[in-house]
Amino acid sequence: MIDQETIGLLLKGVNGVTWQSLVMIGISFVLFYLAIAKDYEPLLLLPIGAGCLLANLPLSPLVASDGMLKVLYDMGVGNEMFPLLIFIGIGALTDFGPLLENPKFVLLGAAGQFGIFLTLLLALLLGFTTNEAASIGIIGAIDGPTSIYVSGILAPHMLGPITVAAYSYMSLVPIIMPPVVYFLTTKQERAIRMPYSSRKISRRTRILFPIIVIALVGTLVPFATPLIGMLMLGNLMKESGVVERLTKASSNEIANAVTLFLGLAIGSTMVGTDFLKPSTLFILVLGLLAFGLDCAAGVLFAKVLNWITGGKVNPIIGAAGISAFPMAARVCQRIAQEEDFENFLLMHAMGANAAGQVASVVAGGVVLALMGAGG
Amino acid sequence: MENIAWGLQMTVLGMGLVFALLALLWLLLTLVLKLDKEPEVEVSAQEATLEAERIAAIADDAVGAQTPERPTVNGMPADLVAAILVATHKHRKTMRRQAAPLVRIAWPGSQIFASRWLATGRARQNNNWQPRGK
Repeated sequence: MIDQETIGLLLKGVNGVTWQSLVMIGISFVLFYLAIAKDYEPLLLLPIGAGCLLANLPLSPLVASDGMLKVLYDMGVGNEMFPLLIFIGIGALTDFGPLLENPKFVLLGAAGQFGIFLTLLLALLLGFTTNEAASIGIIGAIDGPTSIYVSGILAPHMLGPITVAAYSYMSLVPIIMPPVVYFLTTKQERAIRMPYSSRKISRRTRILFPIIVIALVGTLVPFATPLIGMLMLGNLMKESGVVERLTKASSNEIANAVTLFLGLAIGSTMVGTDFLKPSTLFILVLGLLAFGLDCAAGVLFAKVLNWITGGKVNPIIGAAGISAFPMAARVCQRIAQEEDFENFLLMHAMGANAAGQVASVVAGGVVLALMGAGG
Repeated sequence: MENIAWGLQMTVLGMGLVFALLALLWLLLTLVLKLDKEPEVEVSAQEATLEAERIAAIADDAVGAQTPERPTVNGMPADLVAAILVATHKHRKTMRRQAAPLVRIAWPGSQIFASRWLATGRARQNNNWQPRGK
């Protein structure tokens, strides 16, 4: 006989539905839409959406203490391993040649981190704690793994919205960046042509670069060692050319597997009761602001360089001093060609963009060092 | 207020440190490049852009660097195919217009030339609608 208890057990799932879980399931659908229909960072937004959906289904066993998503979180996000493994893959795919050809552009990368600290100030004004404010500010690094790494240490409870914001804004570079550049530059400035001189970068220099960066940054900002160490390890493997199999594995198989695990684990942190707060909205807005401020600071700094060099630097490339490599550089090239079709800025913008990648990791380490965390 | 003062301190110190570190890196890299003694040669912007495109294409595979794939037609970008189509169509129209005075057999409105429309009408008029033999 079917008694009251059996019916209760059968309806346990339906009874467990809350309005928060329904809203979060709706958000997971939005993430699926962005990934599948709009092609916005599908490699991450799709697993994040799946993690969010699975974690918000009523009484989901996947987020129980020994559930798969919880195990994945403890295995690689709680101890910061996944973002670091992804960094090896990124390093193995990044060619720092454009930066080595024009080392002065490393300063554009530094200017592109200004948004981190200005957003930190704004977050403090809105009443966030110091750790939370620093975590929100780091969205301005426009670097997914750095954002996950820093916020995972400083404010793990905000990991979900920060990751979603960081990756969403990275994919929105072509939409967010151009208005900032147009607002801050004149038609004449955008049409400036920059001369090209190519310098053959020897294999020795290419191998020395990651070693120098690890030694320098690791010594002066030890908190940045995990991030810069893994990024440069990947690059060293690539440039040395002696560990082809490891390079391929870290940029393909390992990166793909880790991306899936990372996305699912991050998505599982987006549980309705924790996610649906006014602070989430503030995080999303402040993240967007951080991105805009980064671009603005980069452009303004490039304008200063243009003034110092007597009109030899196109201010557009300042906006590429962020970490979204190589998308930011491509957007700069497109803006320049809208003014003058024969203006080729891509290589210079790639130099600034590669600098932004190093600078965002350094900035992440500096934030951790100043907060006294991450050691 | 205390938090804001701390935030300002963070901003000044943080940006100062980031700039100082990267300036030091700039100096070191310049030094390494000087020791490398590789000659600097002028290259055209197109050549540099091609090289940059090659580097960017490799980095496109990195997670978080993806750009949406552009639609293609038989391996060619769809917008390029569309542009070629429009250009050839326009070219064909221009050629027809330019060739018209030479190839037409009669000027427009001429009594000796009947358009297809007119010729068909005349043919229909000449046809008897009644069945043959009746």
